[in-house]
Amino acid sequence: MGHGKYIAPPKGEYQVQAGEKLELSFVVLPGESRDITYTVDLMGPGAEAQIKGLYLCRADEKVNIRILMHHRAPDCHSTQLINGIAGGQADVHFAGTIVVAPDAQQTEAFQENHNIVLTETAKVDTKPQLEIYADDVKCSHGATVGQLNEDELFYMRSRGIPEAEARTLQMLSFLSPVIPEGREAEIEAAVRSL
Amino acid sequence: MLLEIKNLHATVGGKEILKGIDLSIGEGEIHAVMGPNGAGKSTLGAVLTGRPGYEVTEGTVLFRGKDLLAMAPEERAWAGLFLSFQYPIEIPGVTITAFLKAAVNAKRKANGEEEMKTSDFLKLMKEKMAFVQMKPEFAKREVNVGFSGGEKKRNEIFQMALLDPMLSILDETDSGLDVDALKIVADGVNALRSPQKSAIIVTHYHKLLEYVQPDFVHVLKAGRIVKTGGRELIDAIETKGFDQF
Repeated sequence: MGHGKYIAPPKGEYQVQAGEKLELSFVVLPGESRDITYTVDLMGPGAEAQIKGLYLCRADEKVNIRILMHHRAPDCHSTQLINGIAGGQADVHFAGTIVVAPDAQQTEAFQENHNIVLTETAKVDTKPQLEIYADDVKCSHGATVGQLNEDELFYMRSRGIPEAEARTLQMLSFLSPVIPEGREAEIEAAVRSL
Repeated sequence: MLLEIKNLHATVGGKEILKGIDLSIGEGEIHAVMGPNGAGKSTLGAVLTGRPGYEVTEGTVLFRGKDLLAMAPEERAWAGLFLSFQYPIEIPGVTITAFLKAAVNAKRKANGEEEMKTSDFLKLMKEKMAFVQMKPEFAKREVNVGFSGGEKKRNEIFQMALLDPMLSILDETDSGLDVDALKIVADGVNALRSPQKSAIIVTHYHKLLEYVQPDFVHVLKAGRIVKTGGRELIDAIETKGFDQF
C-alpha cells in the first residue's frame, strides 16, 4: 500500500499485554488521502500505548483518523497526540475514543488533537470522546481547531522574517511534538509546500 | 530626512485614531513623543511598522526617501526600521536563537549578502546579550515565553542592538521597569546613537528621558501633535500634566 515507510500501517488492531509497550507513529503527507484506523486494547496490568501522528493537507485530500483506545486492565497508560495542518479544500475528520473498563483502576489516559486550518475552504471535524466506567482514573482530552497566530506572524515579520518563513517557523513549532525522529527535514520540506 | 510623516490619518476598527500627524526625523536625532493614554502613541508605532488591523486613510510616510506605507512589514525591517513592542509577543516553540538567526539572514539575503556563518552569529548574539545583561541561557529559550515583564523589555533592546536599525521606535519600553532595567534600556539607546541613527521614544512618563537626552519633544494628543519643543516640555508636563496643551 506504499505506507510502509510511514512506520505504522494505516489500519491496525493491537493487543498490548501486561508490561508491554506499543508505540505508533504516523505521518500523512500533502497529496495523500488516508483512512487511519487504530484499535488498541490494553489487556494486562502495566500495558502502555503511545500514538503520535501528524497530517498535512494542501489540496482536496480526505483524511479520516479513528482511534479507539480501550483500557481493559488496571494500571495501564496511554497517550495520543495528533497534530495537523489543513489547507486547500482538505476534509479532515478525527474521532478518538478512550474507553476505561469498570475494573481498569489507576488508568492514565491522555488524548490531544490540535489542528490548524489555513484556508476558509478546508474543513476539520474533531470528536474526542471519553467513556469511563472506573472511578480511580486520570483521563484528559483536548481538541482545538485554530489558525496561525497573527500576532506572532507580525512580530516575526517586524524583525525582518519574510511572511512565508514566519508561517513555516510557526507551523514547525506547532508540529514539533509529533515529528518522528529522523524525519525533520522531510516534514520541513512538506510544510514549505503547503 | 530619515523619516517624513505628512498628514497621517489612521483608523483601527473603523475608528479614527491618528488625525493628521506631521513629523520629520533627521539623521542622528532622538525624538520623544509624549502624550496621555489613548492619544494614539502606540497606533503611530503600529502604523509605521505595518501592523495588520491599522488602516491608513490619508497622508504619506517617506522612510529614507521611499514610500514606507507601500512596504511589507519585513521590508520595513530590512530598510532599517525597528519597533520595540509595548507588549512583546510570545512565540512558543521558537527559540531566540532560531528567531534572530532567521531575522538576520533574511535581511542579509534581501541585501544580496550571504548568510552569516553560525559561529559568527552566535558570537554576535553573545556579545549583544552581555550588553543588555541577559543571561546566555536565554538564547535557548522560546521567544518571550515565561519571561517577566522586565525580561521581555530587555529582550526587545537586545534585538534592537543585534539588528542595528537606522530608526528605532521604542513604544513605552520604560513602562513597568525598575531603575536598573531602565538604565539598561537607556544604555542600549545611547549606545545606538550615531550621526546617522535615530530613535523615537514613545512614553507618557519622563523617567527614561532622564537617562536618554532627546533632541526634540513632541506632545501627542487626540491623534495630533499639538506641541513641539525641547527638554523644557518634559518639565512642563511633569509639573502641569497634559491638560495645558
